[in-house]
Amino acid sequence: MIIWAGDNIISALGLTSEANYKAVKAGTSGIALHNATSIAEPFQASLINREQLDDTFNQHFHSHTNTYTTLEKAAILSAHTAATTANIDISSPDALFILSTTKGNIHLLDTPDQTYDPRKLHLWHTAQLIAKHFNNTNEPITISNACISGLCAQITAIRELSDGRYTTAVVIGIDLLSRFIISGFQSLKALSPKPCQPFDDNRSGLNLGEAAATIIYRKTTQPPNTHITLVNGSITNDANHISGPSRTAEGSYAALTNILQQTNHNNIAFINAHGTATPYNDRMEAIAITRAKLNNTPVNSLKGNFGHTLGAAGILESIISTHALTDNTILPTHNFTRGENEYPLNIPTKTQHSTEPYCIKMMSGFGGCNAALLFKKNTHNGTIH
Amino acid sequence: MNELIQELKLEIINVLNLEDVTPADINDDAPLFGDGLGLDSIDALELIVLMEKNYGIKLADPAQGREIFKSIRIMAEYIQSNRTK
Amino acid sequence: MELYINQYSYISPKHTHPTVTTAGEGLTPLYRAIGIDYPKFFKMDNLAKLGFLAAELLLQQNKRNLNTRKDIATICFNRSSSLDTDRLYQTTINPENNYPSPSLFVYTLPNILTAEIAIRNKFTGETSTYITPSLNPETIVRTVRQTLNNTNGNTAITGWTEYADDTHEAFMMLINKQHNSNTTTPFTPEQVNKLIIHLRKQTNNK
Repeated sequence: MIIWAGDNIISALGLTSEANYKAVKAGTSGIALHNATSIAEPFQASLINREQLDDTFNQHFHSHTNTYTTLEKAAILSAHTAATTANIDISSPDALFILSTTKGNIHLLDTPDQTYDPRKLHLWHTAQLIAKHFNNTNEPITISNACISGLCAQITAIRELSDGRYTTAVVIGIDLLSRFIISGFQSLKALSPKPCQPFDDNRSGLNLGEAAATIIYRKTTQPPNTHITLVNGSITNDANHISGPSRTAEGSYAALTNILQQTNHNNIAFINAHGTATPYNDRMEAIAITRAKLNNTPVNSLKGNFGHTLGAAGILESIISTHALTDNTILPTHNFTRGENEYPLNIPTKTQHSTEPYCIKMMSGFGGCNAALLFKKNTHNGTIH
Repeated sequence: MNELIQELKLEIINVLNLEDVTPADINDDAPLFGDGLGLDSIDALELIVLMEKNYGIKLADPAQGREIFKSIRIMAEYIQSNRTK
Repeated sequence: MELYINQYSYISPKHTHPTVTTAGEGLTPLYRAIGIDYPKFFKMDNLAKLGFLAAELLLQQNKRNLNTRKDIATICFNRSSSLDTDRLYQTTINPENNYPSPSLFVYTLPNILTAEIAIRNKFTGETSTYITPSLNPETIVRTVRQTLNNTNGNTAITGWTEYADDTHEAFMMLINKQHNSNTTTPFTPEQVNKLIIHLRKQTNNK
C-alpha cells in the first residue's frame, strides 16, 4: 500500500509542519502589509523570513550557500526536513522527486545584471538541482498546472508509485513572491487591500503568500498504526474560460463527484476548499459543494493564515488538513464572520472536534482547471465506518 | 470627439488583438461588451490599463469600468472629461 | 491496456502545411491556411497559438468522431514553460514604463495552452502540463498511459509544444484505447521516437 510517510512546511508561520499546524490551530496568520519601492501599491502577503531561512539552511548545508537561489534553498531545506523527520533516504534510486511550481526562479528576469546561469529560469532545471542536491539521479517530474499544481503533483506521485518503478515519491511545492507575480495579480485586480476573508460576504480579493512544502509518499507493507492515505484524486477542466471560473462550477463539481463515488458523505470530517477570497472563486466553490450535496459538511480555507501560496498551496494545505484529520480537529477559517445567503455553507468560526476518517482538499486555477483529493485517516483497529 | 473616438477604436483593436476587426466594424453606440466584439473580463482589465497608460486616468474601482465601457462614445466622453494627459 | 496513435500533427518553422510556413511570418499564416474562424486565436500568446494550431491540425479529420468529449484528456509537455511570454510580460513592468498587462500575465502560465485546446473542443477531462528538459517519448507514453489508466477516459490529446527564442516545435498525437481503421500504430516509446525522428528528418530535407 501507498501511505503518507512524512511532510514539512516552510512559511511565515515556521519552518516545520508542527510549528505551522500549531500556529494555524492557535489562530495565527502570517499575512502582513508590505511595501516595496518597486511595486506600485503596498500589498498584504505572507512572506518567508529570509534571514531565518538562510541561517537554518547554512546550519545544515554550509558548503552550498552561494550557489543556490532562495527558492532552491527553501525547497531543499523543506525536502531535507521532511526526509530526516520521517527517517527516509531520499537519495535512494527508489526515490522519485516531483516538483510543483508555477513560476520557479522567475524573479531572475528582474535582475539587472543578468549574470545568472540562464538554465535557472527553467522549471525542469530547478527540479534537477533539488534532486541532485540529495544525490538522487532519477529524472524528476515537474508539474506546472497553475494553482492546482500541488494536487496534480500528489496524484502523479500515487500513479508513479502504483506503476512500480519507485517506492518513494518526494513531492515538493514551491513559489516565492517577486515583482513579476505581485504586479500580475495587481493588474488582474485580484488582490485585497486588507487581510483576505475567504467565503465571507465582505470578501474583496486574495492575498499572496510564500511557502515551500514537501510530502513524502511511500510504498510499504507495514504501515504505522495511524497513517494517512490518498484514496482518490481527480483533475478536470471547465472548458469555459482561461481565467474566469465556470458559473455553474462544472469542473469543480465533476472533480468532487469523481472522488466521492464510494464514500458516504457522513464520513467526511471537512472540506478544505481553495477559498482564495476572490468573489468569483469562493462563489464557484460554494456552487460546486452545494451541487455535490456537501453543503452540510464543514468547509474551511487556509488562505487567511498563509495567503495564496500558488504552486506550494496544494501541498501545504494538504499537510495542514491531514494533520487536523489526525488531530480529530476541524480548523476554522481565519477572518470569516458571515457567509453569503445565496449558497450557504457550513463554515466553522471556531475549532471543532470530529473523528470522521475522511477529508477533501479541493482547488481550482487559471486555465479552468480543477482538482480534488480524498484523504483517509487509517487506524490500527482498521478503518472507522 | 470624433477624432478621439477614431483614435480609441484603433487603440482598442491594437491592444485587444482584434485582428479581423476594422474601426468601421465598431459602432460608436453599440455595447463594447456582450456579443458584438466578443470581449471578456481580461479585455476589460486591459482597457483599464489603456486608460491609465494613454490618458492618465486611474480607476479607483475596476467595477466603474462597467459604466465607462458601455460604448465607444461613452468611453470617449469619459476620457475627454477626465484625462490628465 | 493497449493504446494507439490514431492521428498526429507536426509544426516547426520549416515544416507545417503544404502551402505555408511558420518561419518569419509567425503562426497567423497557418491559422489562415487551416481556414477556421476563431477570433480568440489572436488573443493567445505564441505558445498557446502553437498548441492550438497543432490540435486543430490533429483533430480536423476526427472532429465528428469525438462524440464523448467529456473524458478527453489534454496533456502537454515542453521545455521552456511560458518563458517567451514571461519575457514579454517583464517588459510591461519596466520601472520607467510600468503598466503591467493583465492579458499577458494570464499567459505566463504554461497550462493556459491546455485550457485553450479544452475550451475550443469542449474537452472537460484532465488537463496537465509537464516541464521536461527535452522531448522524451518514454515520459510522454508513461504519463499518458498512467492518466488513461486512472481516469474513465479512453482518449487523450498529447504531445510536445515548445516555443522559445524565435523557434518552435509542436508534435501532437491523438491517443485512443481503440485503433481506428486508418492506423494501428501502437502508442509505445519506440513508435513515438520513430515518428518524431521521421518528422524532424522530413523537415531537414525540405
